[in-house]
Amino acid sequence: MKRERIYGIMAEFDSAQALVDAAKRTHEAGYNRIDAYSPFPIEGLAEEIGFHHDEVPLVVLIGGIVGGLTGYLMQYWMSVVSYPINVGGKPAHSWPAFIVITFEMTILFAGISAVFGMLALNGLPMPYHPVFNVPRFSSASKDRFFLIVFSSDPKYDPAGTRSFLQGLEPRSISEVPS
Amino acid sequence: MNGRKVTGPVWIQPGVPDNSVTVTLGYGRTRAGRVGTAQGFNAYALRTSAAPWFASGLQIRKTGDRYVLASTQGYQSMDTPNGDHRPLVRETVLEEYHKDPDFAKGQGEEPAPGLTLYKPYPYKEEDYAWGMAIDLNSCVGCNNCMIACQSENNIAVVGKEQCAIGRHMHWIRIDTYYQYPDEAARDRDNPKAFFQPVPCMQCEDAPCEVVCPVGATNHSSEGLNDMVYNRCVGTRYCSNNCPYKVRRFNFLLFQDWVTPQYKMMRNPDVSVRSRGVMEKCTYCVQRINEHKIDAETASVREGKQIKVGDELQTACQQSCPAGAIIFGNINDPESRVSKLKAQSRNYSLLGELNTRPRTTYLAEVSNPNPELKA
Amino acid sequence: MNDRYKTTVDAEQAPVIEPGYTFGTITEKISSIVLTRPASNGWFVGFGVGFMLTMMMLYAIGYLFLKGIGIWGDTIPIGWGFAIVNFVWWIGIGHAGTLISAILLLLRQSWRNSINRFAEAMTLFAVACAGIFPAIHVGRPWLAYWLFPYPSTMGVWPQFRSPLMWDVFAVSTYATISALFWFMGLIPDFATLRDRSDKPVLRIVYGMLSMGWRGSARHWHRYETAYLLLAGLATPLVLSVHTVVSFDFAIGIVPGWHTTIFPPYFVAGAIYSGFAMVLMLAIPIRKIYRLEDFITERHLQNSAKVMLATGLIVAYGYGIEAFMGWYSGDRYDAFTLWNRLHGPYAIPYWSLLTCNIFIPQLLWIKKLRTSPLALFLLSGVILIGMWLERFIIVVVSLSRDFLTSSWGMYYPTRWDWMIFIGTIGMFLAAMFLFLRLLPAISIFEMRTLLPEAEVKE
Repeated sequence: MKRERIYGIMAEFDSAQALVDAAKRTHEAGYNRIDAYSPFPIEGLAEEIGFHHDEVPLVVLIGGIVGGLTGYLMQYWMSVVSYPINVGGKPAHSWPAFIVITFEMTILFAGISAVFGMLALNGLPMPYHPVFNVPRFSSASKDRFFLIVFSSDPKYDPAGTRSFLQGLEPRSISEVPS
Repeated sequence: MNGRKVTGPVWIQPGVPDNSVTVTLGYGRTRAGRVGTAQGFNAYALRTSAAPWFASGLQIRKTGDRYVLASTQGYQSMDTPNGDHRPLVRETVLEEYHKDPDFAKGQGEEPAPGLTLYKPYPYKEEDYAWGMAIDLNSCVGCNNCMIACQSENNIAVVGKEQCAIGRHMHWIRIDTYYQYPDEAARDRDNPKAFFQPVPCMQCEDAPCEVVCPVGATNHSSEGLNDMVYNRCVGTRYCSNNCPYKVRRFNFLLFQDWVTPQYKMMRNPDVSVRSRGVMEKCTYCVQRINEHKIDAETASVREGKQIKVGDELQTACQQSCPAGAIIFGNINDPESRVSKLKAQSRNYSLLGELNTRPRTTYLAEVSNPNPELKA
Repeated sequence: MNDRYKTTVDAEQAPVIEPGYTFGTITEKISSIVLTRPASNGWFVGFGVGFMLTMMMLYAIGYLFLKGIGIWGDTIPIGWGFAIVNFVWWIGIGHAGTLISAILLLLRQSWRNSINRFAEAMTLFAVACAGIFPAIHVGRPWLAYWLFPYPSTMGVWPQFRSPLMWDVFAVSTYATISALFWFMGLIPDFATLRDRSDKPVLRIVYGMLSMGWRGSARHWHRYETAYLLLAGLATPLVLSVHTVVSFDFAIGIVPGWHTTIFPPYFVAGAIYSGFAMVLMLAIPIRKIYRLEDFITERHLQNSAKVMLATGLIVAYGYGIEAFMGWYSGDRYDAFTLWNRLHGPYAIPYWSLLTCNIFIPQLLWIKKLRTSPLALFLLSGVILIGMWLERFIIVVVSLSRDFLTSSWGMYYPTRWDWMIFIGTIGMFLAAMFLFLRLLPAISIFEMRTLLPEAEVKE
């Protein structure tokens, strides 16, 4: 069976400014399931396509708290509960000495959460994605800017969406096969 | 000298009378096996049966050769080059002692016990708290304790090359200090010489223990600074942080594990340390435990509690001809060591560091004949 | 608008990127070093030298494992010698990379964008060089893993009051976070290389490394947040790492170690030597790969200013150490000071003062700050000076401590030198590989420096 499903329609732009303007107009036109691709982060672009909830800080916070607790409790358990020894006359629970490792563990866990949390929330690694089927898309990592309206958008209509995007004066328009 | 000749190195020492030379006999052997052959120089060549101990008429001529002498102590003064005097060996004369019996404590500042934020360990509640007192008045610097310790504790003999770069393995050493009547005048003729045997101080607040990352050195409830050889990974941090520098490190494989006869030589109660491990004085912990076991079995047999008393001696103590080293239970006020530590002469070496050493020293009080003064 | 990517146009200052570039030309210029430019003979010579020195180091380490620490110059009382000196030196050098990538990011210094990638690489390789030493310097290196808290049949745990344990956690956290930071920064550039490369093998390799990055606006948003948070985490981390390294000494009781000035002055010294290394690398790289348009005079100047400032903090540290030696009235500290100035190691100490304090004052002269050759030489002097500083702290302090009877001397052996020089070779070899295999300058962050990258609402 031949796959005919269309993943979305993609428009290519020349500049960051054009992409931001186009994204804004598309979103205002009522398209919700859209995405934009750029070779570098563009401030405000995510907001223009309706992305407001970034969970990364929460993930990092949780990671940090877990790390700090792990660090301190690990030291407490190992030095006080599991095998206490008399070291230089210092008490088993020498909390000032435990601060350094608690701090380092906080940073370690928070940092790992930041990177892997970001990747997980982004659904990466994802070796295959339909947008890679568009030959011109390879420029998205160089100097071209792309806007896509997904076919799952409630307002999506192959001909209408295409002509709407045409109205944004893109450099080219391509259909993205699924 | 009278036609006899020996070539050897010269080491100028303070306090040797003018125009005199001391030679060490017993070296320079030609057939003494792997260790003894061709070590040093044969001074017997100068000795005749007519004059076995003293001879005159010696002439010395420079050969221009250089020869490396190994010494375990490179600096032999308590005065540092910047003109400070460190009160390591504390001494006075009898008259002064009568005036101020507490002179030894006055020469250093030791913080009072209990000045700590932490709750101190309850060593007093234990049956035993091991301690040692070393009477500097008695020590004659014969090095016997060192040899006794070496054989008791299976300490490796490392040889001249390792000694020369500071890797001798003695758990107890005799520090020798010269003190000159007039340091500023650089008068090297009339020094006083002091001997100070230095084993591990078994500090209650031991700086070495805190820095060990694997907990290979920690404190027993009886106050011993224990060294767990099997756990040691050899960071040498403990030695760096030991102000007394009594820790010894197996920089190379110093022990001979191959020659089977050596098994018979070694003390079976003491582990033989291999390469990469720190080692140190343990107050002969093997003897302590042997006596404790004996006392406990005796207690059971007799039906009453019998404690280890002064019959327990460390190897250095046992071999000391002058009785300068006294070891025992400081929780027992009747023990010899407790009585000695109660003396006014008692002081802690580097007490100002607040390491709370269990080994303390009894300061030296001399009574020189005033008529002998030059 | 995000100031972080704003190009400050200041008539007084040289630009951070020369005019006339577009997104495309930036991409081509940086990625071509990796993708199309053939490796030159110079590269092979440089890598070859680094590789041979690495092999020499491995040989020396092999012999070390066979015989023991005794092949080094370490003795009692000087239990720590070159190994720890080199460890602290390398760790310190690494600090500049994190400073550039994290702290300058938070301070919105956009000029960092063209040097952060290789500065981070430098951090990683320096930490790798540093990481060798704690592992091999222990007497029984095959048991070095006992420093990690893992459940063992012995039932015992590490001893967390030891600064060496703090080191284990600080350095391994630092290595992990630096690697993550570096890798994260590389993800979009891997995507660029994936799309630019015409060799199928490279496409697959770079494709896997890019994790399927496609530059979606949502992804960029989370990416930016995570990057900023990571920078915020790395900043206290980098300050803590050298603080913890300084604790190795400051927690000890050895005169010359036991001082509270160590943490700030170690951190400043670390950044000082790190920037010196950045310059020693950046100056030849920009010349050879003709990146003068990206690594401009402004970068050199700014680095020189950072060196001048941190150098003065280090000088203050020496001053306070000397002052406290006198003011504390502690006889051991007083002697430590005297011994540094007049003792058997006076020549290294005076050389240290010359290299770290006197000569770098030349950086006040603007002409020298803008001369690549002068900066290159000055950086070399500072790196030597910082190495000597660690030598003075580690070795000289230990050689003269409390009991005069236990004083000793330290003489490095050929094995000490072989391993030290070997790590420099390893560092160079890794840098050469990095230049050929990965984009040495962050492509996507360079794009943001162009005026076209700015958008209006």
